[in-house]
Amino acid sequence: MSDFLDEIADCVPALRRYARALTRDADVADDLVQDCIERAIRKRRLWLGTGSLQGWLFKILLNIYRNDLRGRSRRAPLVSIDEMTVEPGAPPEHGHRLALSETAAALSRLPEEQKQALLLVAVEGFSYAEAAKILDVPQGTLMSRLSRARANLRSLIEQGAPVRHLRPVR
Amino acid sequence: MTREGNGVSDADLHAYADGLLTGERAARVEQYLAAHPDKAQEIEDWRTQNSAMKALYGHVAKEPVPERLDPHRIAAEAKAGPGLRGVRRAAAAALLVFAVGGFAGWMARDMLAAPPIAAAEPMVRQAMAAHVLYAAEVRHPVEVGGGEEAHLVRWLSARLDQPVTAPDLKAHGFKLMGGRLLPASYGPAAQFMYEDGSGQRVTLFLTRHKDSNSAAFRFASHEKTNAFYWLDRTTNYALVGAVSRDQLRRLAQEVYDQLSL
Repeated sequence: MSDFLDEIADCVPALRRYARALTRDADVADDLVQDCIERAIRKRRLWLGTGSLQGWLFKILLNIYRNDLRGRSRRAPLVSIDEMTVEPGAPPEHGHRLALSETAAALSRLPEEQKQALLLVAVEGFSYAEAAKILDVPQGTLMSRLSRARANLRSLIEQGAPVRHLRPVR
Repeated sequence: MTREGNGVSDADLHAYADGLLTGERAARVEQYLAAHPDKAQEIEDWRTQNSAMKALYGHVAKEPVPERLDPHRIAAEAKAGPGLRGVRRAAAAALLVFAVGGFAGWMARDMLAAPPIAAAEPMVRQAMAAHVLYAAEVRHPVEVGGGEEAHLVRWLSARLDQPVTAPDLKAHGFKLMGGRLLPASYGPAAQFMYEDGSGQRVTLFLTRHKDSNSAAFRFASHEKTNAFYWLDRTTNYALVGAVSRDQLRRLAQEVYDQLSL
């Protein structure tokens, strides 16, 4: 059991990072990670010791996160590109370093599925096969979510996603 | 997945942007991108997005991990009680209700003749029972530690549905150990626990009230446990500890000065 707990501990920094990116709130994120660890410990008999423990933990985290979202019915509505108001001022030129806040704002506007998929690949560095397993979808579905996430991010950033709705990441 | 020219697929482009392609397949993508500058720009934008997301959140993985996320600690606590979310808290609350009932009954039997305690609000009895119960704990005196004070205060404020602050008693030698949420007669209560250098502990018990009354310090005592209690326009306060009446009075004055309206 102690080895198992040590292996979980190794994964906690990455789980925190992913949870923080998903929720953009340090406390909510850590609550999510704590619930994830509790559930993993309770379900350890389901962990067969093969494959990636990290992937298994991420899957548990996402399940809890998605249940919480459903429970709170706080899905961010997908705002169509045309409806969004554009901040006055010139959009960033290609080649310019994009402001981080613009990326964060744009990310928060993605549909949940796309955001979850993109963060697994872009920040957590999972392979496409691993990410698909974590999300419990075929790899083709992962690739299409990834593709749409990236295309949407591009449009949102080019149009200047409104930054006034941004909460700072603590 | 669309088939681009050159046998380069959409998936290849993503994999290239994510640094997952090597060798011959990477070379083929590079060739393709050289011939399609608009695609090259798109891939470049994806990479910029990746960098931005890493810059936004990467630091979190480098932070020291809070104690409450230590799997060993979580496993140990799970052993101490049921593992379902919320059930552990309910069990602790049930214990307190029992303790309050038992302790209050015992106190009432003993102290009917002593005006301060007999006239005491039920809240003070609960505050004293909560003190006796939790101040004796070695491993779990508090639920959220003083190291996470901002989180603790935010949590309790949300539960009591009004701003809650932990007073600073360092000038009197008492350090905040942390706090917990408890049930009281008419709603939730916040309990903050403090400890001095010699291991003496005092607890501050707060509940909300809607009467808009206020009342000056009153003193209550049972065996070795003393309490000063008062109310301001929104909140009932009880400061409890097995410390001298004088010392507790000084601490209560400090709490009053910092918190009361």
